[in-house]
Amino acid sequence: MKKVKIQAGLDAGHINTKAVIMNGREVMGYGNAPTGFDIVGAAQSALNNAMENTGVSLEDLEGVVATGIFKDIIDSPSLKVTGTVPEFKSGAKGALFLNRDSRTIIDIGGNVHKAVSYDQNGDLLDVVQNDKCADGLGIYYTTMAKALGLNEQGLTKLALKSTKKLSVAIQCGLSAETDAIDLMCQGEEIADVAAAVLRYIAERVADMSTYLSLTKEVVVAGGIARSQVIIKHISELLNQDISVIEPPEYVGAIGAVISEEEE
Amino acid sequence: MEKNAGKIIEKFRHITENPHEYAKALKDKGHLLAGYMCTHVPEEILYAAGFVPIRILSAHESQAMTRSYIHETYCSFSHDCAYQGLQKNYGYLDMITHASSCIHMAEAFNVWVRFAGYEEKSYLITYPHIIHTKHAGDIMVKSFIQFKEFVEKFEGKSITDEEIEKAIKVYNKTRRLLKKLWESLKADKPPISGADVATVSLAAQVMEKQEFNKMLEELIQELKAEPHRVFSGVRLMVTGGACDDLRIFDLLEDLNYDTNLIFVDSCTAARYFWFEVPEDSDDKLKAIAMGHISRIPCPSKDTVPGSGEKKRFRVLQGYIEEFKPDGVVMLYQRFCSPQSMDIMALKPILKNLGIPWTELELDTTVPRIQFGTQLEALIETINRVEP
Amino acid sequence: MTEKASIHKQLDWKKAKVIVAGVDIGAVNSKALILLDGQPYASSHVKTLIPKESAFGTINAISDKTGLKLENIHSIVATGIGRSQVPFAEKTVSEIACAAAGAVNIWGPSVRTVLDLGGQSCKIIHCTDRGRVNDFLWNDKCAAGLGRSMESFADLVQKDIDEIGNIALQSEELLRLSDFCSVFALSEVLDSKINRVPEEQVIAGYHHAVAMRISTLVARIGLKTDLVIIGGLARNPAIIKWLEEILGVRRLAPKPAWDSTLTVALGAAMFADSFHRRR
Repeated sequence: MKKVKIQAGLDAGHINTKAVIMNGREVMGYGNAPTGFDIVGAAQSALNNAMENTGVSLEDLEGVVATGIFKDIIDSPSLKVTGTVPEFKSGAKGALFLNRDSRTIIDIGGNVHKAVSYDQNGDLLDVVQNDKCADGLGIYYTTMAKALGLNEQGLTKLALKSTKKLSVAIQCGLSAETDAIDLMCQGEEIADVAAAVLRYIAERVADMSTYLSLTKEVVVAGGIARSQVIIKHISELLNQDISVIEPPEYVGAIGAVISEEEE
Repeated sequence: MEKNAGKIIEKFRHITENPHEYAKALKDKGHLLAGYMCTHVPEEILYAAGFVPIRILSAHESQAMTRSYIHETYCSFSHDCAYQGLQKNYGYLDMITHASSCIHMAEAFNVWVRFAGYEEKSYLITYPHIIHTKHAGDIMVKSFIQFKEFVEKFEGKSITDEEIEKAIKVYNKTRRLLKKLWESLKADKPPISGADVATVSLAAQVMEKQEFNKMLEELIQELKAEPHRVFSGVRLMVTGGACDDLRIFDLLEDLNYDTNLIFVDSCTAARYFWFEVPEDSDDKLKAIAMGHISRIPCPSKDTVPGSGEKKRFRVLQGYIEEFKPDGVVMLYQRFCSPQSMDIMALKPILKNLGIPWTELELDTTVPRIQFGTQLEALIETINRVEP
Repeated sequence: MTEKASIHKQLDWKKAKVIVAGVDIGAVNSKALILLDGQPYASSHVKTLIPKESAFGTINAISDKTGLKLENIHSIVATGIGRSQVPFAEKTVSEIACAAAGAVNIWGPSVRTVLDLGGQSCKIIHCTDRGRVNDFLWNDKCAAGLGRSMESFADLVQKDIDEIGNIALQSEELLRLSDFCSVFALSEVLDSKINRVPEEQVIAGYHHAVAMRISTLVARIGLKTDLVIIGGLARNPAIIKWLEEILGVRRLAPKPAWDSTLTVALGAAMFADSFHRRR
């Protein structure tokens, strides 16, 4: 019988580092930390955070599997990294693990967004990443929330109150931001401006996703997936139902562990 | 029959805001409709064949979908036009055509042909890249002959010289009437606003020309009898690329200072109609070519071989002398290469003439406040405002 | 809403004959300046959230400290991108005219170019010795938000916005980053972590890229001395240093007692004063 081991998954992304601790294929708990410049430090903090939340200690961990753009950098002795998994793979495996019917994952990260389609085993079929001008959607979301004096949940809550459809330019976050400010200075309701801003994010994500032949079950991951306004609009643009993976931030970290577990 | 100038202008405005409704009504009456991109298409050939040529314009929609089809750094006008095709908003068109101009519009046209179902009903007209050469006229004539053959084959009947001559006369009438309307803006207190004139000019591009001519004649009569709107203010001239967004022209005359828009050098205004095709000549296609060569050159077609000079500035200077603008607004699509190069060359000329300017980059949205600030700063510069 | 107000201790508004205000509602910060008989008396800074509320906030911050109310003010001119959202303003004047007027007032008649590095937009203004504008350039869309992007950058590298310029200056080397657009530059900053580029070099690189971008705007309109630089980014020593190097020109030194971010509001107040006197 295969021994069940306790492992941690670390997803070292551009903006946030996410950690999960799993007992075999069972999730025990999560942790996270902003990535910043001290990438190893951030990974350590995220892992410590997860260990605190689960009561698991470093000695209990059989291994740490790394994924995310900085996976090769966090490979340090203090972190006991035992393997790395490419993001596309961890995303697919994680999504499939959390939703067995899923066949496409749209991952909206802090700086980049991508879509991966996979088969019933979680093996890669196709992959696409955003156009350069659409970089930084996550950063942009945070900036807009801050510009309106809100936290991240607050921006979506505000957008839900929108009653009028406004448009911002969709070339990039800078254009959208300039237009958003202009609209506010025209006296438009901030709820409507917030909705327009979120619509910009949805437009870019949806457009990228159309590069893939979308399969029946599409799931969305990444912190931004928590915004029901964005999800609704993406769904409208793609003309199909999509669902949010729970928890959306940790799909990569979970997928890393699952990939390793399956080897 | 409209008695009031304001009512006629409203009608023109309504058509520009509801072009599909207008076109479908024509279709219901049994007309054939030919969509075209860019103003270099020899519309008379289509008109002679019995088509109503309708310019394909943008809908100012912020969308990212076309980025899967054409590059993200192509102008928003080309993206939007491509989007109209993909969305089948112009599904009533019987055929589409385009005369090669710039690369962005070429791609938009390509999207229609390959992805919007127009493969069997489209035609790309070869059009010289530089129109100031001896060969340009010959190339145009040869190309127009081929285009005429395509249209004849498409329709299953030939186009006679008489029909072309008739079309030339109808189109020349449109051109003369529009010219007359714009010339009324030379006055110190014009009888109509520049925004309204720009509206009428845009309507010309999406209407059947005989109907348009009739409406415009009525409007000119009404304006003689009773001016629609009279005010004097700082005189602003626009130069730039395709601008089918009337909100911009509205904004130009809706600032915190009095302003008059008095001339628009763009392919959606003066460059579209400020010329004539020689009438009653033996070679009709050659006449059309000669007419085209005499147009205000488009920045994408205006470089003299050898000197690299831009002919259009001499032409523009003529308009500046006639219309006497106090300031110039450069209006161009973001990412438009020919237009932004044009502006670089134009600035020293304006500087020599002592005419201040400001630049506005167009996208699908109109940031009223930012644009308004730049325009008001231009007015303050012209009016030599200081505390 | 964090408000800051600064009041001249020796002046008393109750003794003034003419009280005017200039209100500058920028994309990131809102500022107000009160003149008593032509002399700067009070100023305030408020973060711009909802423009109309921020506008009232600038006046309230001053009222709270002085008792001076809107009805006491004889003339108010609003400027900045939020100027149409200031219901109590009598007139609006563009921030371009206001920047020129304010700059010449503070730095004197030798000023010929004002570079206003705002949160959302950059303006280069050519003016006469009397502070009248004779030419100006607004940033092109790809150069939008340089100021705000610097704030985003500071957040990303987890440094204080007031310290980040000094850090940039301390680095001997700098990482070359895209100097065309903030989206590309920020993205490259994030990816630079893969190559383990030292933090100071990245910070220096970002500042240099911003300075390069501003200099391309200046090149499009030209530069005439004397040069004054105002706006939020003008407080960043690295931006100033590299701009001066790239442009080959030293800007006029900041005035010790003058907060340069109030220059545009001062210009607006000067216009208010002039409108009142001409009544």
